[in-house]
Amino acid sequence: MRNLIFLVITVMITFSCEEVIDIEVPSSEPRLVIEASINWFHGTVGNEQEIILTLTSPYFDSNIPPATGADVSITDSFGNDVLFQEEGETGVYVTDQFTPILGASYKLHINYNGESFEATETMQSVSPIDEVIHEQTGGLAGDEIEVKAFYTDPLGMGNAYLFEFVEYEPFDLTIGVYEDKFIDGNQTFAYFSDEDIMLGSQITIRNFGLSPQAYDYLFLLSLQSSNPGGGPFTTQPATVRGNCVNLSDPNNFPFGYFRLSEAYSVDYTME
Amino acid sequence: MSLRAWACSFVLLLGSVFGGHAQNKHTISGIISDAASNETLIGVNVYFPNLQKGTITNAYGFYSITLDEGTYDLLVQFLGYESQSIKIELNKDIKLSVQLVENTEELEAVVIITDIEAVNLRSPQMSINALTSNTVKQIPAVLGEPDLVKAITFLPGVTNAGEGSSGFNVRGGSVDQNLILLDEAIIYNSSHLFGLFSVFNPDAIKDLKLYKGGIPARYGGRLSSVLDIYQKDGNSSEHKLNGGIGIVSSKLLAEGPIKKEIGSYLLAGRGTYAHLFLPLADNNNVAYFYDLNTKLSYQLGDKDNLLASGYFGRDVFSLDGSFRNIYGNAVFNLRWNHLFSDKLFSNLSMIYSDYYYGLRLDFVEFDWQSGIQNFNLKYDFKHYLSNDLTLQYGLNSIYHSFNPGVIKPTSTSSAINYDELTKKYAFENAVYFEATKNITNKLALNLGLRWSHFTRFGQDNLNKYENNLPVVFNSDFQIYQSADPASISHYKKSDVIATFNNLEPRFSASYLINDKSSAKVSYNRMSQYLHLLSNTSSPTPLDVWTPSGSFIKPQLLDQYAIGYSHESNNGSYSLEVEAYFKAIKNRIDYIDGANLVANDAIEQVILNGRARAYGLELLLKKNLGRLNGWLAYTWSKSEQQTPGRNATETGINNGKWYRTAFDKTHDFSAVAQYKLNERWTFNSNFVMQTGQPVNYPNAQYVYNGLTIASFGERNSFRLPTYHRLDISVTLSPRKNFDRKWQGEWVFGIYNVYGRKNAVSIAFRDNLDTGNNEAVKTSLFGLLPSVSYNFKF
Repeated sequence: MRNLIFLVITVMITFSCEEVIDIEVPSSEPRLVIEASINWFHGTVGNEQEIILTLTSPYFDSNIPPATGADVSITDSFGNDVLFQEEGETGVYVTDQFTPILGASYKLHINYNGESFEATETMQSVSPIDEVIHEQTGGLAGDEIEVKAFYTDPLGMGNAYLFEFVEYEPFDLTIGVYEDKFIDGNQTFAYFSDEDIMLGSQITIRNFGLSPQAYDYLFLLSLQSSNPGGGPFTTQPATVRGNCVNLSDPNNFPFGYFRLSEAYSVDYTME
Repeated sequence: MSLRAWACSFVLLLGSVFGGHAQNKHTISGIISDAASNETLIGVNVYFPNLQKGTITNAYGFYSITLDEGTYDLLVQFLGYESQSIKIELNKDIKLSVQLVENTEELEAVVIITDIEAVNLRSPQMSINALTSNTVKQIPAVLGEPDLVKAITFLPGVTNAGEGSSGFNVRGGSVDQNLILLDEAIIYNSSHLFGLFSVFNPDAIKDLKLYKGGIPARYGGRLSSVLDIYQKDGNSSEHKLNGGIGIVSSKLLAEGPIKKEIGSYLLAGRGTYAHLFLPLADNNNVAYFYDLNTKLSYQLGDKDNLLASGYFGRDVFSLDGSFRNIYGNAVFNLRWNHLFSDKLFSNLSMIYSDYYYGLRLDFVEFDWQSGIQNFNLKYDFKHYLSNDLTLQYGLNSIYHSFNPGVIKPTSTSSAINYDELTKKYAFENAVYFEATKNITNKLALNLGLRWSHFTRFGQDNLNKYENNLPVVFNSDFQIYQSADPASISHYKKSDVIATFNNLEPRFSASYLINDKSSAKVSYNRMSQYLHLLSNTSSPTPLDVWTPSGSFIKPQLLDQYAIGYSHESNNGSYSLEVEAYFKAIKNRIDYIDGANLVANDAIEQVILNGRARAYGLELLLKKNLGRLNGWLAYTWSKSEQQTPGRNATETGINNGKWYRTAFDKTHDFSAVAQYKLNERWTFNSNFVMQTGQPVNYPNAQYVYNGLTIASFGERNSFRLPTYHRLDISVTLSPRKNFDRKWQGEWVFGIYNVYGRKNAVSIAFRDNLDTGNNEAVKTSLFGLLPSVSYNFKF
């Protein structure tokens, strides 16, 4: 909801003109970025999982360097270790040995470049997607196709959600982050609209449950990726810290997040 | 000066007040007004050239001066009016009201009223700028709509965060630190359409004063400045109508007598055309604002004057089927001027002010309303004890009621649950005493003391935290996080949950170096009990005000300023140089990623920090002649800091000082008017200033398909330098001379050389190329405008 209110403000200034400019930006030492999203899709066993490690790079560089040669494992609450193997030198670490348990606590260990990283998180459940509809009067101008994915929030739980909307032609991934602050216990919807989307195209909608900390993290991250950078409605950019710490050198902290969730995926064709 | 030393000198001064003796002294007093409209005039010089003594009229046109018995020449002077010289036999108390005739000579055009006589050089008041509504109207404005806030940003020490941003910043202070008074009523949001226009209709305004420093004790409640605006009373001689038709807005003002020379009314309305700002196809989209100014004034005999005034303004945005957004100020006040004697003027005001914000998002069936209201009682006295001593004293009580937000579903099928954020209440009281004393012919002092008291009343739910810390520092992640409340207490509306009080000494002095130049110093302490919760670089209309209380302390400011003024022989040129330093305690700052919208536990995302600002201002004016105007230059710094609360915490921005969003190192403006002849007048202004502080990313990374920019320390980069030239031409048709209907055309160009000044530089991932790019947004290119104004 709060992103919506900001959206209302920014859409006002329509006199504006935009141009891409060349600009010099500073660069900092590379940091480890941990994308450890363990998703147990409904109807699967959830044994196959992957963790992606990359490094930060100067802002205008076109490639994102992988973090290769790391030791990656997850320990469950019974003390069982699951090792993740790197696929070549891609920074993508995979396993087929993972056992998901809703509500259980897991610990992630990473050894990279002689430094040791750790994170702890609980596996979240999520409500299924009840129904998907589309309307042709979406967007603020009322001329876009808008997709609504309905779900029912459980009452009094303080739930939070991540929705992913995937378009295929061309490929694009849009995320939406929601909390149940205003809608606790009700059926409500996640929505998505795009001026380029056509009738007949297919999209995939996925949803995941978020812990309160994961919600804060993803909410900030989505703000950060859309901050205007100067101008009247800018907020100060935040250093978006996830739940991973560097045990060897706390100042060289990693970016990214370790989260685990039940998940649903729905394919939808706009007819 | 320590408080004790200050109190001692105050007592000494009081001693000199009551120890003084009068022999064969008489008082001359009265009202100065405009001969045509009977409108009272503010700041008129009432001057005795032989004695080199004088005074100026107050906000209600009243003056009073006490002199030894004798025969004198009295000179009444006001820029834009013909001076009057009157011979006076002062052998008893005299009532003398004077009507001045507007100057119709070629040199009438007057830019700033100030300092045309040594009277003002001698006045201890410094750091003040006055503008008439004529000046405001002459400055070329965006889309031809004259704008008061735009006009004051051309003065030294006044900036705003950038094009299209709301409000204004005075001497490095934030927007919410300006006390904006319209006929003594507090205005909470001075902007229409996100800062494109201000809420003040220049046609309905008589006079304004901006106090940037040395703020007298009669004002309080905000730290940085006082913008004191007076509406016209209305013409009590004859009915008049004037108006204007422009490309974005139209306006109409009617005024006239209720009872000739006794009572008058004024009614002014202004509005923009609905679809202007949204060039979208759908006809059900609207974006506009309107405002209404009203005033009634009525004289009850010689000693009493009743004034009622009101303002109502709203901005309306609506996109069909998506949302509807309405917000604005409303004020109403009733004032009673009473003369207890020819030396004691009083004004009693009863004021209601209100700010409303409403937003309905139809597509999620969500309705949001928030606002602030206050009831304000003021009783002010001005006591003209002798020619060398004036006392001002009074009291002020404000009851505040805050509605931080009510959320409602707009239909029964809506997923939104009804929710009401905790309403807050507070009572703010102050008493003040102020003495202006000429110690010698060269030295004048203004000493003042204000005692302010703030009571925060109970609210339904008040969170309590472990160790009383609503924000905790997570040492693993080195970040600040919201604490969970340990318990919740319930209070009644009549319970007191926090009180504060502050003594606010004010001091200013002027020393006349010679007839044409003077030096001034001032010190003022201010306290501010209300805070606008805003973590954007300029406030947005939905930002809410919150009172000081258990977790938010009042902001306190100390400001020191020194200045030098000089005038050329005939007063046609003047130069003012001032330097200031200010330090602010308890400036709130927001933890990284703070969410302020609909946050019912705002204490969980804020920390108390501090701020400082210092600078040097130069103002060179040419007051008379065909060509007049001013050059203003300011060098300044404005910073804030929030250190860690103990050794293990990092503070915000690693505890380092960082630039505020409105820190502008250099700020230069030039305003010029050239009156060619009766028909043609040319106006122009030029502004050049350091770009707004911003953040550039020092790295990127990818997470969950999003490209994320990562930033270093706050505000360490800047947008490119901003500069712009505007011009306008006013044409009064020849036909005007022999008819009642007076018309004029105003042609203007905003941003003459079409510079694309950056409003923002955004960093984003281009979906088509897959590469990151920097995107500069600029708001206005060259914008021509035309408007037609009339009166009859």
